[in-house]
Amino acid sequence: MEFSRRNFIKFFAGGLGGTLLTPLPWKLIDDIAIWTQNWSWVPVPGKGKFSHVNTVCTLCPGACGIQVRKVGSRAVKIEGRSDYPVNHGAVCPLGMAGLQVLYNEGIRWKAPMKRMGPRGSQEWKEISWDEAIDTLAARIKGFRDKGNPEKLAAVDGNQSRSTMALLIKRLLNSIGSPNYLRMPREEDTHSMVNFLMQGFDSPLTFDLENADFILSFGCGLLDGWGSSGRMLNVWRRWATNDRQHKTHIVQVDPRASNTASKADLWLAPSPGTEAALALGMAHVIIKEKLYSKEFIDNHSFGFSDWFDEKGLEHKGFSGIVLGKYSPENVENITGIKSRVIIEVARKFASANAPIALAGRGKGTFPGSLYEFMSVHALNALKGRVNNKGGTLITDDVPLAPWADVVYDSVANNGLTKERIDRAGTLRYPFTRTLIHKFAEVINGSHSSPVDTLLLCSANPAYTMPDNQSFIKALKKIPFIVSFSPFMDESSMMADLILPDHSHLEKMVDIVRPTGIQYPLYALSRPVVKPLYRTRHTGDVIISLAKRIGGSIASSFQWANFEEAIKERVSGLYDAGENKVSWEDVKKNGYWYTPRHFFGKRSDIFKTASKKFEFFSTKIELAIKTYSKGLRPGKPSGLEGKSFDDALLNLGISAKGDEVYMPHYEEIKSGGDKNEYPLLLLPIEFINLATGWIGNPPFLNKTLFDYQLTKDDLFVEVNPKTASRYGLTEGAKAILKSPKGELSVRIHHFDGAMPDVIFIPFGLGHTAYDRYLKGKGVNPNEIIDPIEDPLSGQPVWWNTRVKLIKI
Amino acid sequence: MKKEENSKGNRYGMVIDLDKCTGCGLCTVACASENNISVLYDESDKTRNIAWLQIYTITNGKDFPDTEVVYIPRPCMQCDNPPCVSVCPPTATRKDPNTGIISQIYSRCVGCRYCMAACPYHARSFNWFDPSFPEGMDRYLSPEVSPRMRGVVEKCTFCHHRLMRARSKAYAEGRRELKEDEYIPACAEACPTQAISFGDLNNPEHQVSQLIKSPHAFRLLERLGTEPKVYYLSAKNWVRRMADNYLAGELS
Repeated sequence: MEFSRRNFIKFFAGGLGGTLLTPLPWKLIDDIAIWTQNWSWVPVPGKGKFSHVNTVCTLCPGACGIQVRKVGSRAVKIEGRSDYPVNHGAVCPLGMAGLQVLYNEGIRWKAPMKRMGPRGSQEWKEISWDEAIDTLAARIKGFRDKGNPEKLAAVDGNQSRSTMALLIKRLLNSIGSPNYLRMPREEDTHSMVNFLMQGFDSPLTFDLENADFILSFGCGLLDGWGSSGRMLNVWRRWATNDRQHKTHIVQVDPRASNTASKADLWLAPSPGTEAALALGMAHVIIKEKLYSKEFIDNHSFGFSDWFDEKGLEHKGFSGIVLGKYSPENVENITGIKSRVIIEVARKFASANAPIALAGRGKGTFPGSLYEFMSVHALNALKGRVNNKGGTLITDDVPLAPWADVVYDSVANNGLTKERIDRAGTLRYPFTRTLIHKFAEVINGSHSSPVDTLLLCSANPAYTMPDNQSFIKALKKIPFIVSFSPFMDESSMMADLILPDHSHLEKMVDIVRPTGIQYPLYALSRPVVKPLYRTRHTGDVIISLAKRIGGSIASSFQWANFEEAIKERVSGLYDAGENKVSWEDVKKNGYWYTPRHFFGKRSDIFKTASKKFEFFSTKIELAIKTYSKGLRPGKPSGLEGKSFDDALLNLGISAKGDEVYMPHYEEIKSGGDKNEYPLLLLPIEFINLATGWIGNPPFLNKTLFDYQLTKDDLFVEVNPKTASRYGLTEGAKAILKSPKGELSVRIHHFDGAMPDVIFIPFGLGHTAYDRYLKGKGVNPNEIIDPIEDPLSGQPVWWNTRVKLIKI
Repeated sequence: MKKEENSKGNRYGMVIDLDKCTGCGLCTVACASENNISVLYDESDKTRNIAWLQIYTITNGKDFPDTEVVYIPRPCMQCDNPPCVSVCPPTATRKDPNTGIISQIYSRCVGCRYCMAACPYHARSFNWFDPSFPEGMDRYLSPEVSPRMRGVVEKCTFCHHRLMRARSKAYAEGRRELKEDEYIPACAEACPTQAISFGDLNNPEHQVSQLIKSPHAFRLLERLGTEPKVYYLSAKNWVRRMADNYLAGELS
């Protein structure tokens, strides 16, 4: 056949027609469609038998009951447990995303590690558990044998009452080091208030479920405060009560937070003046005689003017409040209209079951002592102590005590030395732990007084206000051991990693979850087998003690951590209304006595006066003792002088009897007002993890693109303030404080107080995986903390800053 | 009209009480973990990420300190007149006449994204990338929901697998009708303040049927005639007004 144009076209047209008649092209298209959707890297979830495991979420001390759905040996979903007395089915976003904490390979330490390169080079060598524990035991023995057991220090983030915390503290005690430090929490301040005004050394608890009027001075009730599962559940109860019993919520907040937006009334005083606002309301209640006369007359001390044994007259709380905190004065301090103060005070006083709550955000950080006392004074005025829907004084969880620690002479000697952070000394009489002071002392000394630092369930290099100072201190400490399961900022600076299991792989307990008003013991249990070569820190500490030997080994007689827990839990078997066994507690995940004798007020306060103390005799004693210590042996003529010095040193600006009572202290801040005209207020979101657990990727999904865009973090600024600096929505700016600067973007938010910059905690990690690392900035880097009067805790919410347009 | 189509069968619907919603984001997390939703390295890219249930924020626009913030969780509206269904060339998405649920069949989807253009609620997401789960996280994937592949559109299914699960259980027990609480999507189950209610709008006994009669009930962009089966409640006037577009001065 001739090869012509015509034949050529014929051939191809025929060929095409013929092919189209066969199923080939259709089959090919179909195959391509299937093939393009069947990449080997599209995961196929494994099949298996469905089962459910009940346990407790221990990612925070809130202890919410959770149910984990399993398929075969894999955990696939976390849900709230509706039969759990803390949260009744509600959990927080972090708890629900817990599987991303468990299974995220990129953030977990998979085996014990030894640092190889220089610190921070991230060159690690996997070692055996035996070698890891031996290394640490030998190190501790080294300085201990030289008679310096206090060279060991621990920073512990476990809940203070939990068995883990007790075990770590016991290790330090038996070795002979007083330097057991804890990550500070708002609960510490609540404990201090309870101790100073009521004589109890435990956090105040509130019967929120039965309250009908909530006056919250900044607690992010819906932003993750307390046990967030419980708070969300309580909120549901408040909201679904019928109209007559609907709980009225007043939120004091400088920003339209979730809580403020949902509250019935939102008050926005100048940040740091909450105490004055509380006392202004106290003024109205006292002046209009709306207080509980029965409680004030019979169960309180220091309300009216009184005479001491020496016949000296003392001013009462009522006199001081009536004199200093009139609504008009308070309006000048706080910016809240006096009319509103009077109105809210009257409403508070006329409610059946009102509660005043002090706190800030999620309660991750300590608060201001006098402020918390001022707020609690409102509860006392209305006689809310031990009343249904008030603040309850209940028994502790009746756990059995362990055998006493065995001390040898080295330990006894070591424990007489002063703590590095000076907590509990005459200067900081009521504070248990002062981690910022610890960093300060190390940074100020020629060589670090600490040789070995243990980091347990904490990431201070990231979470501490002014974390840069802590990082500086870490660099000076010769040997750092991290027990963290995660590759967090602090463990990246460690020399030895002894990784713990993740929360769903181990058994730990929480004793009285944050804010729970009844004695409740929560016990988690392993949901999945450990994924990696990690080991329970409790077990590691017991083996370590045995490896060190001597009296230390004798203090740790248990075979493993479960035995240590079991021994404590044995105290619960016969303590409740129904007998329980170890198996019951393990199966239920809790032990609980919800009974309470409401109304009992006589003989309950453990203060010197046996009453509720508006005038704290403990503060009086502590300050007087401290002032004497300042001028030991000086003639009595100088007493007055040394007393003023004492107040000055303690950071108290009040004078006279007011010092011992709830009052308003203006918190000074480091920066100069002219140079740094704005105030920086870190904020917390319920959907952004802020503690030592890194934010899981699912929670990144819930952040708005005006909170985080690519790697840029937005700060919330009132549009008027922003326009003063010529900063439009989304504009980039430098946020500068005396401590440093951060690069941020601006989000205009009408609900932000003018002249205040609101910056979220929880981003700006320099460690973890690429889903978290480098996203946003960490406000801790520029926080310029000053010390709270008397308590000495760092004030993290009062940094002066300026905005620089770029 | 089309909406009468399934007046006899079930018509599953949702009511979200915005006055109870606290914006905690738990519904989004519950949805993502229930439905094997992938996570991007950069989740702030809201045009590329996958969100079956997105939360939006609105404010009343008033100056400090009278500002109010309200959150609007937005699942797929499961419209009775779904604009996405009629535009889908390969019939990868269709309305189930027995449940009213709009399905999405991933292996049929050709990724043309007509449905995304048609959906006025932005309820659909496109897989621009292969599904990504951070290293090791494929271990929590649930076998009840198939992971999606690159190039297909996905959206909220009202947790259809939970309906299948509940049905299997009911059938095994010899029942044809589901009880009200037997089938609940993960978001409604998780909502800690119980702002989300779920049930059969055709069943007058179900709570949702009563809730939508409230004078505070409304739907998003109601005037488009899509007839969403997701209702919202709010006692606040400004919130209800913001749910639709109005001309200046127009009275609703």
